[in-house]
Amino acid sequence: MATIALGLAASRGLRPGLWPAVLTAAPFWLFLLLLHDVPTTIAIGLRITTMVASFVWLVATLEPARLVEAMIAAGWSASIAYLLAATLSAVPVLKARARRIVEAQRCRGLSPRGGIAARLRALRALALPLVLSALHEVDERALALETRGLVPGIRRTPLAPPPDPAVEQAARWALLLACLAALVRRLIVPRFI
Amino acid sequence: MSIRLLALIPVAAAISLALSAAVDAVALPLFLDTTGTILATALAGPGVGIATGVVTSAVNTLRNPTFWPFVVVQIIVALYAWAAARAGLFRSFRTAVPAGLGLGVIASVTSTPISYLVFGCTTTGGIALTTALGKALGLPPLGACFFGSFVSDFGDKAVTFALVTSVLHALPRRTAARFPWALRAIGAA
Repeated sequence: MATIALGLAASRGLRPGLWPAVLTAAPFWLFLLLLHDVPTTIAIGLRITTMVASFVWLVATLEPARLVEAMIAAGWSASIAYLLAATLSAVPVLKARARRIVEAQRCRGLSPRGGIAARLRALRALALPLVLSALHEVDERALALETRGLVPGIRRTPLAPPPDPAVEQAARWALLLACLAALVRRLIVPRFI
Repeated sequence: MSIRLLALIPVAAAISLALSAAVDAVALPLFLDTTGTILATALAGPGVGIATGVVTSAVNTLRNPTFWPFVVVQIIVALYAWAAARAGLFRSFRTAVPAGLGLGVIASVTSTPISYLVFGCTTTGGIALTTALGKALGLPPLGACFFGSFVSDFGDKAVTFALVTSVLHALPRRTAARFPWALRAIGAA
């Protein structure tokens, strides 16, 4: 399974697919070797590698904007689609703002050195402006959502929904059933970890 | 759910994910990855808090898939923060910090089985090293795993509760009054 997952990740190319999967999974192997014997390390390491490589492939394949359109086309609430899309777009904005606040506070003499108490005071000086400025944006965002008619409970029509052929729908159901079967098998035939 | 509370969820989730930049700047061994969940719960109740926790985990998972199994911890954090807000425990550091320490114990108890069964206690480098320390001290595997999670979570959740208390008290009263639970959480209503 790990080989298949790594192969899928590699199918998206070395830089967006295989390297992120290998670099994310590699530290786990190191920590596993530190804590467990070799057979356990291999068993858990392959499981984690499969999980990591599958998600790296998913992220490299799936554009968030298309995911939101597909969710709306599939009948999901527009509010749920908004939550995912808005968070994905807000994270880089707030991270950039956090870096600006760090630089501004350093210009004002904030030092990240010293004991725990001094560092906690420094953390407060960095985190408070970030969180408060973000909270003040909530009203602006709410107004923008109301203006665009995103009222909870209202169905929206996507402009260009991704195609969803019957073969892919059948494949999704088959994979879901395979997951359930694997889960049942694992619960009925328990093994170590 | 009102539009304002819907708009709060992605902002709170993004706060959790963006705070790592501030933590890195002061070189403290903290995650603060539940700040948004606790803040959203203290401002708007358990429904918004749980939604924030799930969205935080989902978006974090796109960056690192090992976060998803811990979505249960985010839900428990939201429920605990709701109980703390109902009791007005965000009214001062003297009440918030012990409440945060309590959450640290609960979070580590919750995350230990997930960390042990799914990842063999290797979720982060810090947890792996403290787990190794626990094993060196003679603890059994599950006990060492709990020790690793406990060392990581105990201080982190106390600092998170203190930070959320600071934010709630720094909010102008007019702004706080727009959120249904904010004034009750700080003991002002």
